[in-house]
Amino acid sequence: MNNNLLARHGRSLSIVAVFLLMLGLLAWVALRAGPLAPVPVRLATVQIQAISPGLFGIGAVEAQYTHKIGPVAAGRVQRVDVQAGDTVRAGQLLGEMDPVDLDERLGALEAGRKRAEANLLAVRSQLLEAEARATFAQTQAKRYDQLLLAQAVSTEAADAKRQELQIAQAALAAVRANLDASRQDVLRADADRDALVRQRSHLRLVSPVNGLVTRRNADRGTTVVAGQAVVEVVEPAGLWINVRFDQQRARGLRAKLPARIMLRSHGDTPLAGKVLRIEPHADAVTEEVLAKVTFDQLPQVPPPIGELVEITVTLGALKATPVVPNASVQRVDGRLGVWLVDATDLRFAPVRIGASDLDGRVQILEGLSGGEQVVVHSFKALTANSRIAVVDRIVDQAP
Amino acid sequence: MDKPVHAGSQDRGIRIEGLRKVYGHGDTAVEALKDVNMVVAPGEVVGLVGPSGSGKSTLLKCLGAVIEPTSGRMILGRDVIYHQRWMISDLRALRRDKIGFVFQAPYLIPFLDVTDNVALLPMLAGVPNAHARKRAVELLTALDVQHRARAMPSQLSGGEQQRVSIARGLVNRPPVILADEPTAPLDSGRALAVIRILNQMARQFDTAIIVVTHDEKIIPTFKRIYHIRDGVTHDEPGEGRGID
Amino acid sequence: MISLAGRDIAHAWGKFVLTGIGLGLLIGVTLTMAGVYRGMVDDAKALLDNSGADLWVVQQDTQGPYAEASSLSDDTYRSILGMAGVARAANVTYLTMQVSGLGNDKPREIRAMVVGITPDGAGHPGQPAYLVAGRQLTRSHYEAVADIATGFALGQQIRIRRNDYTVVGLTRRMVSSGGDPMVFIPIKDAQQAQFLKDNDAILRQRERTAQNPLLNRPGVPGLLDAVIASQSSNNSVNAVLVQIDAGADPQSVAEPIRRWKRLSVYTREQMHGILIEKLIATAARQIAMFLVILAVVSAAIVAFIIYTLTLGKIREIAVLKLIGTRNRTIASMILQQAVALGLIGFIVGKVSATFWAPIFPKYVLLETGDALRGFVAVVIICVLASILAIRAALKVDPAEAIGG
Repeated sequence: MNNNLLARHGRSLSIVAVFLLMLGLLAWVALRAGPLAPVPVRLATVQIQAISPGLFGIGAVEAQYTHKIGPVAAGRVQRVDVQAGDTVRAGQLLGEMDPVDLDERLGALEAGRKRAEANLLAVRSQLLEAEARATFAQTQAKRYDQLLLAQAVSTEAADAKRQELQIAQAALAAVRANLDASRQDVLRADADRDALVRQRSHLRLVSPVNGLVTRRNADRGTTVVAGQAVVEVVEPAGLWINVRFDQQRARGLRAKLPARIMLRSHGDTPLAGKVLRIEPHADAVTEEVLAKVTFDQLPQVPPPIGELVEITVTLGALKATPVVPNASVQRVDGRLGVWLVDATDLRFAPVRIGASDLDGRVQILEGLSGGEQVVVHSFKALTANSRIAVVDRIVDQAP
Repeated sequence: MDKPVHAGSQDRGIRIEGLRKVYGHGDTAVEALKDVNMVVAPGEVVGLVGPSGSGKSTLLKCLGAVIEPTSGRMILGRDVIYHQRWMISDLRALRRDKIGFVFQAPYLIPFLDVTDNVALLPMLAGVPNAHARKRAVELLTALDVQHRARAMPSQLSGGEQQRVSIARGLVNRPPVILADEPTAPLDSGRALAVIRILNQMARQFDTAIIVVTHDEKIIPTFKRIYHIRDGVTHDEPGEGRGID
Repeated sequence: MISLAGRDIAHAWGKFVLTGIGLGLLIGVTLTMAGVYRGMVDDAKALLDNSGADLWVVQQDTQGPYAEASSLSDDTYRSILGMAGVARAANVTYLTMQVSGLGNDKPREIRAMVVGITPDGAGHPGQPAYLVAGRQLTRSHYEAVADIATGFALGQQIRIRRNDYTVVGLTRRMVSSGGDPMVFIPIKDAQQAQFLKDNDAILRQRERTAQNPLLNRPGVPGLLDAVIASQSSNNSVNAVLVQIDAGADPQSVAEPIRRWKRLSVYTREQMHGILIEKLIATAARQIAMFLVILAVVSAAIVAFIIYTLTLGKIREIAVLKLIGTRNRTIASMILQQAVALGLIGFIVGKVSATFWAPIFPKYVLLETGDALRGFVAVVIICVLASILAIRAALKVDPAEAIGG
């Protein structure tokens, strides 16, 4: 009897089964993929943690002091003795400008000085002569005076000898004055020559420090103007990093903070450094704060000047507060807050946020007390009426 | 016109008086039936023989309440179904309840199994399914095809299908059965078997059966034969050899 | 009572189901096409919703920043911050460009819209509203948040112009109006990317500047360097995104900015209008027309199939009529079959559309409203088609069953 029933109704049953299967498929589709489907979300627990905010900026390697060596007057470069990359000592001659006629003028001044000296000698001789004449005239005058007293000579003759004495003394004074003038001439010639020598010395380009030549801007025969650098020298031990931080994210930046330096040429190994100072002038156009960071220990091979660097400065740990991942903070209807999950209940809780660190953790100053479950990631934007399904991972992360 | 009151004395059976059928009108009018008179008593199996074009099919269509005659009288059992241009209104109910059809071809519904093919009409009429099927199985048993009750028509042999179609014709216990060339495709053995069954059914259920045929194999079995020629019938006793 | 429709279906269920599946695929294609259209409109809406802005401030007399190029000085936002009703304002840049994903095999290059945002933290205009993985930007350089449509993974290095960025977060449905996925990077890097060309071009530009005697004066050392430095910096942004105070009216906050700052300001409705009418109008109309044609063709095919199915049963219908079956019964059989076919077709169509929609390169949005409308349309078409078939069936002369 049962067999018969089954046989009779077997066909109908299988059709009904197929139909139910199709309805089930439709219902499954509506519940899983349609608007009735729950939104997959990933949760996190609010923890009380002390975060250490960090500052991140990029900068470039610079030399602390760059000595740009060049002439003080326009001229032509006569020779440059160094190449970029050469090590130089303080006082080393790096190159020279073309003296043009300076050397000739120097020779002329030398000759002039020699002439002044010779003149001085001549005047000295003149002086001797004048002195001799004056002495003789004085002796003669005295003799004739005595003779006059003895009435051996005439008054006229005595007067004549006195007059000769005066003339001779005047001549002596004149020669003495000449001697002074000649001495001054010599001094003047000396001074002229010294001045020209000093000027000539400025044509020599000399390194002021022990260092490294970084740039060679002009070659032999180039005309340069006053102030233009022919050779640039830096001290390799004096490298630092000029780094820029966004003004809005530079709170807490101060000198002596430790910094982590990532040089592009050094790949993945960070170097240690310290913040030296914050520049008093910020960049108003790009809205950045400038700072200088020094290396704790300069690498063996110093990085090239101008290489880009990433700096991370970690500020000290703040007071422990409830902390959430920054992906969970959202703005809904103008208010900042997080989506709290309470068993199966979903609600939006406004919060007040504080500082955040570079790994994306944000302090919650008001609104959470720790231990709550918040939504970190969701498949769709959430609303108060959303149905949620908690999952471990929302998307596959295979590249 | 009013329905005539006086019907006749018989409960079942067929009575046709002066039936006339004209197709078309005016110049193109064709008189398919001129004057047809037939009486078939309940339990009787009569033959209706005639050449093609003699009006056989037309007479069958009138008898089967498929078309309306032009004039005359048709009485089925107690009911006058046609009288001088008046025809009973619900032809479908008439066909369903009072007339059973057996066609040349079985014309079984291919998507219903044998039992349901037979039980279809009662089920559609509101008879509870189980009851209708029970009646169907009884008829199938009487016709000796009950072993095929659950099969689909396509699985049956020609003879089995024919018997099932006879069962279908009988399921509503109609007073009249019209059989149109029921043995045409069959060999003599099977043809005689069909006639045997028809006679059996006629006796068992008091049914008046008209068999339209020109099959020489079965004509001798009829006790009475109506010949129709040019739209006119006349009655003749048949050989009545009967069937055993 | 017996269900003739059910018996007929059961008897030839293979043919029936296959026909249903065929119809279903056609219906599925139509639903998908509607989804493509909706997806386009939703892309535009997503762009606006995900920017987190109430007002867009752009160059005067432009319809930027999406529909037209717009360029503002990057300190404009300071004066906007001071206007009444403005809660937050932030610079933003947009540029569609090639982004390479670096990895173990050869780098994959995709076309993305690079958005420069100020990494001010959550809730600020321009920030992605929600993430599906990772975190928001915290550093002012060399970090990126990418949409999952880019195919990049968390932690992957990507190259944009001259710099490499680390993907720190992933988003979803952050696409441009053209359907390109977005990549968010800090705005200073984006300004540089928008502006600085490749090394060869930079060298050539330096040489050109050096050859200009006005800029390369021997008597003014340092002038050439200063000029080159100024040529290599970019102080422009494409727009300023503004969030207004709670309860403020967008137009009344926008109007003073328009008047006094000589800038163009658009509210969200206005931006929506610009995007829909200007950016995607032509493409959307194209798809809408195709959708209409597809729907009409589908309807015709459904009708034709049902009609043909019925005509194939003419003989049985004639027999049924002859043996006394009511017209009502025959009509109901045809109608039931038509509706069942439509139901199967709809279910197959909706399910297959749901399964293949995510494979499309652009977003396909299958709305429930569309599905319901589709369902109603399918049922109506089936009923109408079956009416035609029923009329044909009822006209059958039962006398045809009687041969001769």
